[in-house]
Amino acid sequence: MIVTTLKPLDEVLGFILPYSDILVVGCDGCNQPPRGLREASTLSQLLDLAGKSRGKVFNFKMTTVGKQCDDYMAASVLKPQIGNAEAVLSLACGLGVQTLAKVFPELPVFPAQNTHFMGAEDRDDGILEMRCAGCGDCLLAVTGGICPVARCPKGLLNGACGGAKDDKCELSPEKDCAWVLIYNILKRQGKLDLLKGYRPPRDYQLTGWKIPT
Amino acid sequence: MSELVPQEDSARVEEVSRGAEGKVYLAPCQIACPLGEDIQRSHAMLALLPLDPEEAARQIIKIGDEIYEKNPLFPVCSYICGLCERQCNYRDETGAVRRRMLVRLVADRYLKYLDTAPTLPTPDKEKVAVIGSGPGGLMCAYELSKRGYRVTILERSRELGGALRLIPRYRIPRGVIDSVISSLLRIAHIEVRLGAEIGGVGKRLDDIKKEGYQAIFLATGTPVGRLLTIDGKPVDNVDLEGVTFGLNLLYEVNQGIASPRFYRSKKVIVVGGGNVAFDVARTARRLGGEVTLVCLENEDRSSRNGIPADEDEVEGATQEGIRVVYSRGVVEIIGESGKFRKIKCPRCTSVFDEDGGFNPRFDHDDVVYLDGDVLLVTIGQEQDRTVYEQEGLLGEGGKLEVDEITLMSNLKEGVFIGGDVRRIGFAAEAMWDGLNAAESIDRYIRGENLTAGRKKEYQDAPVLSNAYYKPQPPLVWVPAEERLNFEPFEEAFTLEQVVEEARRCLCCGPCKSCKGCVAAGLQPVLPGITYDEELCINCGDCAYYCPCDAISFRSPHGVSFDMTLCRGCGLCAAVCPAMAIELENWERARISGAITEAVSEMKRPGILVFLCQWTVLPHLDKKINPNVGIIDVPCAARVEGIHILEALQQGFGGILIIACPEEDCHRQTGSREAQRSIEALDNRLSQIGLQDRVGFCTVTPRHQEEFDRELERFNRKIESIGSKESR
Ligand SMILES: Cc1cc2nc3c(=O)[nH]c(=O)nc-3n(C[C@H](O)[C@H](O)[C@H](O)COP(=O)(O)OP(=O)(O)OC[C@H]3O[C@@H](n4cnc5c(N)ncnc54)[C@H](O)[C@@H]3O)c2cc1C
Ligand code: SF4
Ligand code: SF4
Ligand code: SF4
Ligand code: SF4
Ligand code: SF4
Repeated sequence: MIVTTLKPLDEVLGFILPYSDILVVGCDGCNQPPRGLREASTLSQLLDLAGKSRGKVFNFKMTTVGKQCDDYMAASVLKPQIGNAEAVLSLACGLGVQTLAKVFPELPVFPAQNTHFMGAEDRDDGILEMRCAGCGDCLLAVTGGICPVARCPKGLLNGACGGAKDDKCELSPEKDCAWVLIYNILKRQGKLDLLKGYRPPRDYQLTGWKIPT
Repeated sequence: MSELVPQEDSARVEEVSRGAEGKVYLAPCQIACPLGEDIQRSHAMLALLPLDPEEAARQIIKIGDEIYEKNPLFPVCSYICGLCERQCNYRDETGAVRRRMLVRLVADRYLKYLDTAPTLPTPDKEKVAVIGSGPGGLMCAYELSKRGYRVTILERSRELGGALRLIPRYRIPRGVIDSVISSLLRIAHIEVRLGAEIGGVGKRLDDIKKEGYQAIFLATGTPVGRLLTIDGKPVDNVDLEGVTFGLNLLYEVNQGIASPRFYRSKKVIVVGGGNVAFDVARTARRLGGEVTLVCLENEDRSSRNGIPADEDEVEGATQEGIRVVYSRGVVEIIGESGKFRKIKCPRCTSVFDEDGGFNPRFDHDDVVYLDGDVLLVTIGQEQDRTVYEQEGLLGEGGKLEVDEITLMSNLKEGVFIGGDVRRIGFAAEAMWDGLNAAESIDRYIRGENLTAGRKKEYQDAPVLSNAYYKPQPPLVWVPAEERLNFEPFEEAFTLEQVVEEARRCLCCGPCKSCKGCVAAGLQPVLPGITYDEELCINCGDCAYYCPCDAISFRSPHGVSFDMTLCRGCGLCAAVCPAMAIELENWERARISGAITEAVSEMKRPGILVFLCQWTVLPHLDKKINPNVGIIDVPCAARVEGIHILEALQQGFGGILIIACPEEDCHRQTGSREAQRSIEALDNRLSQIGLQDRVGFCTVTPRHQEEFDRELERFNRKIESIGSKESR
């Protein structure tokens, strides 16, 4: 999922202060933590309180979309609801914000969040962690399901650098060394010979930025 | 919320079954109670006792009434039972919830009321005879009378109660037994004939039938002491002066026949390792004897050959100066000029054989002799078989032929047999037989199928995975040197201790078979869950946060709620980002409505308190605090940020969320989750200059002064914000 965090409220307030009628749009898609109808509501209430203490009265309308990054879906769901809104506040990731900007070219669309990375949730540790770099040439089949591109800060493809201490990365000691993790899991599965294969350097062209649907 | 009025019906316990086999799902303590007392429910009700003493007293009688329905001897059980505690989920953690002591308080108060409690309707159906007035017979008689049968108890002794009358007085006061039995007879209109021996020279069963009794329940117990044997043959010399059965001593003491210094400066040897042997040893000690107890078993109660008596008994006896000699058998009783002198005791190497059969083995090279003046043999009790032989109720090998389920004799129709005579055990187990026999007799008389639908299977409910185990309170005994008399020495719990201990109960079983909170008036019904699948975005948060593991994922979409596990905290409804979940009676709209109502009742909205109902605090007197509004919630975790913000929007100066301390939270994680989400909200409010408007605090349940203090502190904080702003 796309990992996001809420922007500081004063920043968001700054965006919308010139406007009064605002459509606040949640995204029920992949962003984590989820920012659906509840967050649209909570955010509006907070901004309403903030506005009032500054003598400003907003008129919020709250809604949500299955996934904001689908222009067809976003347009179909939101256009009928836009009414006389003067601005749109998006609770999606950057993709959703840009999609809404495209759907409502005549209106300002503001991000209520910062977008960080493609991450996975570790519930017990209570963290969201970047685990995929979108490299375009997935290696997970030969690395025991652990991505060295995303999780090794050096992006090494052919084994550890040799600098790991106590199985922790030499660059960021709070992180596990990705290659130690890979080694351990392959050992457990009796597949250490997978490590013998050579993996050519990453082809950055594969990352790409546009794919036909 | 207050406009909902509790209904009697909604508090009624329902049976819940789970799994493909449809096993009845219950807290293990309740499965262990032979009488099926609603243990969890009464614990919840005790935990929720109101602060007002009169209200609390009424509630205790109500709890007593409910327990009495299932177990009319419960005041007795509150001294001598505790089978449920052996299976409590807490047992191996920090020690079982002390149910027995909880019920003791109820019993002590209930006994006073029992003397005047209303009677059952006068029975007018067929006549049934119950032979024997021990717990088994009494229970059967009570249940039959409840069902409308006219019951007569025939008891050969001069006193009712059976083996209960042998239990030493320091464990249960005589008055408790007397009072329970006389009330039972009165309430259930039971007729009694004392000194009515059945069999032997007394009446035959046919005579009884001729008197118009349609069925007979035999619960004659095990009044005969078991003889010492070696290799299947009785040990000689039992007729020496000074050798007797321990049971005889108990009888004589309770009848007041034995003088208080009966064994003064006598050496007393008790043979046996069971609880009864300890009763005998401790009784002998109280009569001045210097007591040694010899048993086959070893000290390690967890091993196959470990001592069967309860730990408390062994500990108590040791404190009282009784010497316990483990792993020794008695193979010879030696006397001198007709008087008992000593016993020969080889070391016992094993008590039971591989199949668990009683088959003691000895090392005859390792022998000790124990000297004494008195030998009390207490190695078990047996049936008096006279009646059963006469009436042809014994099958091959001289065993009772009884159907396990119906308890009807396989050899004689209309004759039912149960209690210790069928299988030796605890009082409550004998009562279970009595109950069971009553069911069979009812069916028998009505000509119904005796067995249909009677076998039930049970599944233990485990504790919540996040359970917080509080330490077990110790039992307080009068010091050994002061308790060598027949006064009870176990100190009762105070009301405060009882509430505290009841709160320790984790309420393991399903809400539907509890409803303690409903019965206590906390909520009108158990709340259901409304789930809108169309709104659900499959985030999984509800399932992850549910403290009761009640929510599971459906494939490929959505979640499902297992209402046998749900405890109605509303956390799921509060966390769902899509607002796809509602908790009945605490719907979002209803809470919003309560906020609006609170505002309208105030001249100047001050503080709004969301109060977890489990804190058991009386409603705030609005006259004293005209600017404070209170909204009850089923759990602090039910409170949503949306509602807090709504209250601020409507003009409240501050919002205080009051939860129970984490270790007291009825849903284990509710308090913690509430705190977490409120801190997050406070953090966001501080970004817009509204810091400190939302407060979270915990209040120990029933501690009004803590509540007052917290409210006062919060109030001052909000006032200081207000005055800063106006400056
Ligand atoms: C010393 C001692 C301590 C105990 N402590 C505990 C304890 O702490 N907790 C616990 O749960 N259990 C305890 N028990 C066990 C418990 O008392 C028995 O399990 C229970 O009393 C059995 O009930 P019952 O109705 O089957 O038989 P009993 O209680 O034995 O009652 C049988 C009755 O039948 C009468 N009777 C017998 N034959 C005839 C006849 N032919 N005609 C008419 N009447 C007859 C007897 O006089 C007696 O009153 C203890 C037992 C003893 C002896
Ligand atoms: S807009 Fe962003 S958060 Fe929403 S579904 Fe698309 S990628 Fe996920
Ligand atoms: S914690 Fe309570 S409900 Fe659970 S087994 Fe023990 S007494 Fe029963
Ligand atoms: S919430 Fe459930 S377990 Fe707790 S008292 Fe109510 S019914 Fe019993
Ligand atoms: S109300 Fe509480 S216990 Fe019931 S499903 Fe929701 S989170 Fe679980
Ligand atoms: S929390 Fe709400 S949206 Fe998420 S899975 Fe549960 S019901 Fe669905």
